[in-house]
Amino acid sequence: MLLNPLEFHKPATLQAAVKLYSELPDARLLAGGTFLLNSLKTMKRRGNKTPSHVISLKHIPDLHGIAVKDEKLFIGSAVVINDLFASSLLTDNFALLRIVCRNISTNPIRNMATVGGNLTSRYTWTELGAALIALKADMHFVGPDLKEEVLSVEDFFANNARTNKILRAISIIKDKKIKSSYQRVKKLSDVDVPLLAVCVTAQFSGNHFKDTRVVINSGTAFAKRDLVLEKFLNESSAHKNLAQEALDHLDTPIYDTRSDDYKKAMFRVGIKNAINELISGREK
Amino acid sequence: MTTLMINKTKYEVELKGHETLLEVLRDKLGLTGTKTSCMESECGACVVNIDKKAILSCITLAKDVEEKEVTTIEGLSDGETLHPAQQAFLDKGAAQCGFCIPGMIMSSNALLEKTHTPTQEEMEYALDGNICRCTGYIKIFEAVREAGQVMKKKGH
Repeated sequence: MLLNPLEFHKPATLQAAVKLYSELPDARLLAGGTFLLNSLKTMKRRGNKTPSHVISLKHIPDLHGIAVKDEKLFIGSAVVINDLFASSLLTDNFALLRIVCRNISTNPIRNMATVGGNLTSRYTWTELGAALIALKADMHFVGPDLKEEVLSVEDFFANNARTNKILRAISIIKDKKIKSSYQRVKKLSDVDVPLLAVCVTAQFSGNHFKDTRVVINSGTAFAKRDLVLEKFLNESSAHKNLAQEALDHLDTPIYDTRSDDYKKAMFRVGIKNAINELISGREK
Repeated sequence: MTTLMINKTKYEVELKGHETLLEVLRDKLGLTGTKTSCMESECGACVVNIDKKAILSCITLAKDVEEKEVTTIEGLSDGETLHPAQQAFLDKGAAQCGFCIPGMIMSSNALLEKTHTPTQEEMEYALDGNICRCTGYIKIFEAVREAGQVMKKKGH
């Protein structure tokens, strides 16, 4: 027996799910299951108390689907990573998501793991957070009163990714002017243990950086912006030594959370590569 | 009772909420072609197809796949005639100990349902969750390519 006994719930509507989640003590939400099922096994193995109820969100139509409406991309929280990866709607600034999805774990996991689970499982290595902060995405939650609450992905992670509501969807404003770069390094090429993830987005006014966002992940508890570096870049124009110069303008305490010097150095390499990629791709 | 649709057969099964699809397939239905290995979504030995996608049965709750179409390695062959993917793995010598092969074939099948002529990149993408400890992947990729050609010819 892999798991401790639990009661399984399969609500067919968002209303029913929200009601169950607010009424059942000790319930956990099941989206793709790639994080939850493994963590339940670990809890059992360690002799920890495991939840008595699991509420599956897979069968709720409101949580599925990818659509563009009023120049905004909406992604249902139950959309799986491979379906997002394959979506023809990932154009312009949304194309960054395809690169991020490609880099998430393995194919069967990408067939199961959901956008919502990736954001809300409070797992340090989740990948979408950095890209969605860089793209200024919003999260649409629904609570027991069925009212929708919109929160930026940045604020959600700043609050340690905690919520007692159900995530319905993500939305991102379409912006053709945004250029992006995503750098990710794994510990081994075949095993998805990330050492770093860096996502940089910017617009260019001629040669000048504008509205830059630098978000790092995997080295921090949750995805986080480097505001010091953003300020430096926003006051800079593109030139061949900029990436090197930028390394003297990092919010160093963020990177110091990594224990090993080589990991800190890897972040510097990632940031440098991201800036160089943005500069070389700014005319495209 | 829960109704599971596995290999185009309806099973009425008494399920508990915590039972994984892997446990139910092997222990309750006797479909032991799906292998138990890491049990934590790392190795791909337990891959089955659900609605034509490669899915890890070790982290899927059986109750969650009611009304879904589940295919295991036992559901691929047509009586004594092996599925082109099974036959190609055999013909190309793509297995050594063979323990990972059911999962490997189910991931290949999900890919070949989408395209009969996968590129190298598509094969690597589709099989990156299946780990083989015995051999390299060259013969496995050859087998997938070969199976695609056969499926194309036979109009699968």
